[in-house]
Amino acid sequence: MTKPMVPSDAELLRLMLAGDEQAFTALYRRHKGHIYRFALLMSGQASIAEEVTQEVFLALLRKGDRYDPARGSLTAYLCGAARNQVLLLMEHERPYVQLVEESDDGEAIPIAQLISRDDPLGDCTRKEANRLVRQAVLALPARYREVIVLCDFQEMSYAEAALALDCPVGTVNSRLHRGHALLLKKLRAAVMPDSAAPDAQGMRCFA
Amino acid sequence: MNCQDFEKLALALARNSLLDNTTREQGLTHTEGCELCAARLAEERALLARVRAVVAELADEEPSARVDAALLAAFRAQTAATASPTVIPMPSRPRHWSTWKVAAVAAGILILISVMAIFWRSKNSFSPRREEQSVLPTPVITPQAPAPKQAEPMTGRDQVAVEQPKNLPKRVRRRASVDSSDEAEVVTRFFPLREGEDLTALENLQLVRVELPGSALSEVGLPVDPETANEPVKADVVLGQDGLARAIRFIR
Repeated sequence: MTKPMVPSDAELLRLMLAGDEQAFTALYRRHKGHIYRFALLMSGQASIAEEVTQEVFLALLRKGDRYDPARGSLTAYLCGAARNQVLLLMEHERPYVQLVEESDDGEAIPIAQLISRDDPLGDCTRKEANRLVRQAVLALPARYREVIVLCDFQEMSYAEAALALDCPVGTVNSRLHRGHALLLKKLRAAVMPDSAAPDAQGMRCFA
Repeated sequence: MNCQDFEKLALALARNSLLDNTTREQGLTHTEGCELCAARLAEERALLARVRAVVAELADEEPSARVDAALLAAFRAQTAATASPTVIPMPSRPRHWSTWKVAAVAAGILILISVMAIFWRSKNSFSPRREEQSVLPTPVITPQAPAPKQAEPMTGRDQVAVEQPKNLPKRVRRRASVDSSDEAEVVTRFFPLREGEDLTALENLQLVRVELPGSALSEVGLPVDPETANEPVKADVVLGQDGLARAIRFIR
């Protein structure tokens, strides 16, 4: 038995722009989770993630013909649009949602201070551990957060992430390194808030 | 390989994305002799494991049915608007004219008006006055029509759409509709604003370009996207000789 052929994103997009509702539905179902989760991890708010998802697909309906398959995947294109929307919305809502004071290089108030220590389950449960990671990611400066969300959480290649973020691959690479270092630092601080947790990098010999 | 070299590879090693076998072997060999780099690699791997746990937890997170419904409605509205029964390509006005172009066109129009005025005066002094019907009335704003952005006399193409088609020879009418510039704007058919009125029977019509809220589309039965209901849409309003609005069409 032969497998039914799965239409490519470009083919679905072409059909969608010609008014094919099934193509639109298929394209939306294929990408909505990806875009929603990207926005959720970037913003930490389901309401923003929903709004971003809606705006991204509305833009695709109106300006879908601007997508050039030769430049990269539709996923990267949509993530790029989602990223712009997230930054825009978060900028608008900054006075209301900012939880973490951070300096330009990402030095923030330890996340542990924002987490209740009275939680009897503490960080024993998997959910709590995941929440810590998500909080730590949210506390990163946007330029590091977006790279980590795309490359680590969305498992996007550096090249695709570079397309989504409209920057060179080398920038993605360096921001990912720096972002990981900051993320580890924040997680260490979250687990051991009162101790100056040593990091392996600080004690190594780079001679 | 020293620790600095290893640091450059740590992420790729943890992600198993290092394609070069030799480099990978060198990195792993380095960790055998360097506890700190081994700890660094373990830390990166642990971080990625935690990231994957979050990914697994979020795997089923999706936008709510409300978003699905809103997008589907938007798609249907757009498709319906595009598939309007009488879509006529129209030449659009250039949107971003440079200052010198605007100045040049304005100067050209002034010269043309001056020449026409001189010609008109000299002709009137020798020939009997023409019937008033041949003169286009000045733009009039009616209570039905919002403030017009700009008024313009009807062109040949507009006449094809509104006026009695049999007044024009077939050849001329076809030519009028084919003649278009590179950029095209899409218009709907004209919707009469007064029930039962025969638009083709009217004379000396005038077309005025206006902007209306998107919700105005619903007044003539066109679908309205709730998201853009407050955004302005362009429309052409047909004014009769008495200055009252008689028909409207929408432009995309």
